[in-house]
Amino acid sequence: MSEKNSKGIKTYYKSTGFCSFGIGSEAAQIDVKDGKILRIRPLRYDSKYDTSKIRKWKITARGKTFEPYNKTPLGPFSYVYENRVYSPNRILYPLKRVDWDPEGERNPQNRGKSKFVRISWDEAAELIAKEIKRVCEKYGPTAVLVQGDGHGETKAVHGPHGCQLALMDLLGGCTVQARQPDSWEGWYWGAKHVWGQDPVGQGRQANLVKDISENTTMMLFWGCDPETTPLGWGGMSASRLCFWFRELGIKIVSICPDLNYAAAVHADKWIPVLPNTDAALQLAIAYTWITEDLYDKEYVATHTYGFEEFKKYVLGEEDGIAKTPKWAEKICGVPARIIKALARKWAKETVAIGHCNGGSYIRSCYATEPGRLEVLLLAMQGLGKPGTGQLKFFEWQLFGLHEQNPLPRSEVLPSVEGAYRGAILQPPEKGQFIPKTLIPKAILSDEPISWYGVTLAGLPKEDQFNEYRYPEVGCSEIHMIWSDTPCWSVCWNGGNKWIEALRSPKIECVVMQHPWLENDCLFADIILPINTKFEEEDISVDIFNGNYNLVLYEGQCIEPLGESKSDYEAVAEVAKKLGLYEQYTQSKTVKEWIKNGFEKSGISDRISYEEWLEKGYYIVPPAEDWENDEPGFSPFYKDPENNPLDTPTGKIEFYATGLAKHFPDDEERPPVPHWIPYGESHQESLQHPRSEKYPFLIVSNHPRWRVHAQLDDVPWLREIPTCKVKGPDGYLYEPVWINSVDAKNLGVKTGDVVKIFNDRGWVLGGAYVTERIMPGVVYQDHGARLDLIEPGESDRSGSNNLICPTNTTSKNCAGEVTSGYLVGVEKVDVEELKKEYPEVFNRPYDARYGVDQAAWIIGGDE
Amino acid sequence: MKVFVIDVAKCTGCYSCQLACKNEHVGKDWTPYAKPQPKTGHFWMKINETEHGSIPKVKVEYRPMLCMHCDDANCIKAAKDGAVYRRDDGLVIIDPEKAKGQKQLVEACPYGAIYWNEELNIPQKCTGCAHLVDEGEVPRCVDACVHEAIKFGEEEELADLIAEAEVVQPELGLRPRVYYLNLPGFFVAGDVYDPISDEIIEGAEITLKNKQTGESWTTKSDDFGDFWFKRLKSGQYSLDIKVKGYKPVQLSDIAVDKSVNVGSLSLERE
Repeated sequence: MSEKNSKGIKTYYKSTGFCSFGIGSEAAQIDVKDGKILRIRPLRYDSKYDTSKIRKWKITARGKTFEPYNKTPLGPFSYVYENRVYSPNRILYPLKRVDWDPEGERNPQNRGKSKFVRISWDEAAELIAKEIKRVCEKYGPTAVLVQGDGHGETKAVHGPHGCQLALMDLLGGCTVQARQPDSWEGWYWGAKHVWGQDPVGQGRQANLVKDISENTTMMLFWGCDPETTPLGWGGMSASRLCFWFRELGIKIVSICPDLNYAAAVHADKWIPVLPNTDAALQLAIAYTWITEDLYDKEYVATHTYGFEEFKKYVLGEEDGIAKTPKWAEKICGVPARIIKALARKWAKETVAIGHCNGGSYIRSCYATEPGRLEVLLLAMQGLGKPGTGQLKFFEWQLFGLHEQNPLPRSEVLPSVEGAYRGAILQPPEKGQFIPKTLIPKAILSDEPISWYGVTLAGLPKEDQFNEYRYPEVGCSEIHMIWSDTPCWSVCWNGGNKWIEALRSPKIECVVMQHPWLENDCLFADIILPINTKFEEEDISVDIFNGNYNLVLYEGQCIEPLGESKSDYEAVAEVAKKLGLYEQYTQSKTVKEWIKNGFEKSGISDRISYEEWLEKGYYIVPPAEDWENDEPGFSPFYKDPENNPLDTPTGKIEFYATGLAKHFPDDEERPPVPHWIPYGESHQESLQHPRSEKYPFLIVSNHPRWRVHAQLDDVPWLREIPTCKVKGPDGYLYEPVWINSVDAKNLGVKTGDVVKIFNDRGWVLGGAYVTERIMPGVVYQDHGARLDLIEPGESDRSGSNNLICPTNTTSKNCAGEVTSGYLVGVEKVDVEELKKEYPEVFNRPYDARYGVDQAAWIIGGDE
Repeated sequence: MKVFVIDVAKCTGCYSCQLACKNEHVGKDWTPYAKPQPKTGHFWMKINETEHGSIPKVKVEYRPMLCMHCDDANCIKAAKDGAVYRRDDGLVIIDPEKAKGQKQLVEACPYGAIYWNEELNIPQKCTGCAHLVDEGEVPRCVDACVHEAIKFGEEEELADLIAEAEVVQPELGLRPRVYYLNLPGFFVAGDVYDPISDEIIEGAEITLKNKQTGESWTTKSDDFGDFWFKRLKSGQYSLDIKVKGYKPVQLSDIAVDKSVNVGSLSLERE
């Protein structure tokens, strides 16, 4: 633990990433003075250790050397964290919706409209406990839906998400919102059926950085932005890798509709492709290879299954349409000559594909198809031969697996499981579950609903063949919601439907607990004030920094703001009222949980608890023999018979036998991957007549200046030109990138306010005219902090998830679709809107932070 | 004497330098070097971003800009009562007490590096984190840059880099102590193809000539048919394309006052 230095500064260590689930990253040094956060800096490994005595890894390739950095590679979000802690949007005391009366009229229709009043902790905990008891007695505990999964701060003892699951478990279970593998949709529901690769369907990562450094000559950043997506958990570690690869002379080709932030600085070549048309491009590449004899026929013969079926489809023998580059050009917007050039170059070079998840490539309608086709293309060029493979630029060591780490293997992969009190990604033992993507449908449907798969990230692919239903036999419909993850509306599929569900009379009570008054919180009946990790004592790891794994003791930096408590403590208040406090806490103090965490972290035989507390962090060296780890798919490449893949045939399946067996007639995910412009579930293609009404495709990546919905109220970020666009009314709108050609046709210039709309509603945005987006496409990040115009219909902040498709990836795949869908775009007159919606457009507002609390809390401006 | 050397080729536009600067200075009092910076509106370290080219030949340039700590600083001359001074180590400091009310200092800086603090009635700017430098540490922007694009140190130690570097607006003659490496200038880019075969043309000989200076550069189109000429100064240029079997093409008048994508050029067979 840190002592004050001569200047009165006390130093702490905290992980500052936003992955949740106890998976820490961005370990930082926090200086605190006079009870306030003074500064946040990278953790220097040598602060407390003689790092010359700690084993280092070293990758030497092409005469150059790559080594760990001497400090953690923090990204921009770590430096602004104090804004989040001291945000005027912090909820400082419990709140109750003014017209929600549990003894009388509950007014569910006013959720998202009515304001809140302050109540005491005692009253709030009592109200919640009473509601839980009433609902449990009337309907059974499964009538309570618990939403407690990611997208938040990263803590251990204090959750932050899913602490209420432990309490509900003591009451007999509940309905659990099963967090589907968002951002991995195409891999999870598609690629798994081609090459196995549980847990999430992305390729084996082991030792790929060394392999690529030594052998790769070209990398495809396909729908991949290593300068953006990893910022929330990994900081600048991916950016370092990009520079390293370039230093080695590896050529970077970015394939994406937008000149994303990595393409803008790293790409040797940008190939703009229309959103969610990558499957057509991929098929045309396969066509070129097949017709020009440019693929590894021997590998295909020995390592794959069903190629002939695929070949028939590609050559047009199945449907009469040859998947030529010219055919693809019209669909994907890439000139045929560029497709051919790319195909030939790929065949000539040693190619690895880089990924960061997200975007239209892997999170759109029928994402299974590009997800699978990519694997097939890799196979056609001999996947597993030196320098090939699929590199993930972040989420290294996820799921506690060394095989998910492309960098040198660590001697220990530490975890906080012994301290962690939040949700884990496992099917519930008691009660029932609903995939997160289907929650609105489940609530709004008068009939039972069914789907395939538990859908949790990490479950084996065979689970996708099991059918589940809601309500489960013996379980209730949902009548109460308890969420600590209040960003469904702005991060999942079809937020306007969720708003409709939240306002349904079926839902008698909505409890939200959160540090900030934002997003779904506006629909609560009771809100509990939660504090940030700087106000708590905890344990953490940092496993995403790309240098060394760390285990941190996180001291309490500052006193909790207002009456806020941690998620763990907030649930404990309710537990007290239910007489379950001892059971809930297992009679352990926070400090005891931390000690338990340390003991199970994997480092307790290397350093004493006392020394670890005193030093504040522990550095795990790389494993001594890491260089011998076989990279990626090398074992399979060398000997497929003895190192089979986890597919029914043990091979890469061009024809997915599992899908053929279980879903033989599924036209939306056939055994051989297809180009599916539209179908039963979705009509979001320029090939479909709907595009006459909504002529643009929208790209919505993981945001550049937020982590999903987090950080939208940070003044220092909101000043950045690509973060917000100032409208004529002074409001900071979420940027909408529009190509100059389209802007001219629409009569729009930078700074104008535009409306993005389709049959699911409309949101506003600030026009940002740019060459960074291709014509016919607009780009707007997701996750802006809700500023509702008509709840369930329209929003001023530009939170476009409200209007993305409600239907899932495809009929039998419960993934989300949040990018690459049809919208119309038009210029609006803000003054006219102001007249139409005076209350909304005159909400108390500060451009630095966004909408003021006074808009929602009676007396909130006091 | 301290200098900054900034390599823009290593800048990805993550804004960590700008944000770490705010983390150090917004609401934090480092008297005698600086009073607290306001919550928003000041950029003592500022990333300027410029979009170059047109689809699909587009690049974004990021340039971290801060007080240039000029040897012949205009602000020192414009200050009354010695309100702006240069430390022995070269860092130029606005004394927050003496500078009260001296709004003319904002205008005095041709680099726009001085900001007005309305609430405190003082001009403010980058101090080079003098309070940290005094303790043997580096400025926060330097610490925050993972890629070490921003270097800070003694002039002699960084002499090799300085030899290759340039300063912004050298014509002002203010002798800035902030040097830049790899400023990208402008580019001229395009690609060539054969419309009959619908194929890109690799290996075409492309020559770009600056019509004013007579300087010229030659390159070959790559395996996407692309060609790039980078780090160009503004001026009038001409472009010649020669490839065996095709009629030569000349674009005789390319005005480069920004980066130019001449587009996809179809070549006619002989």
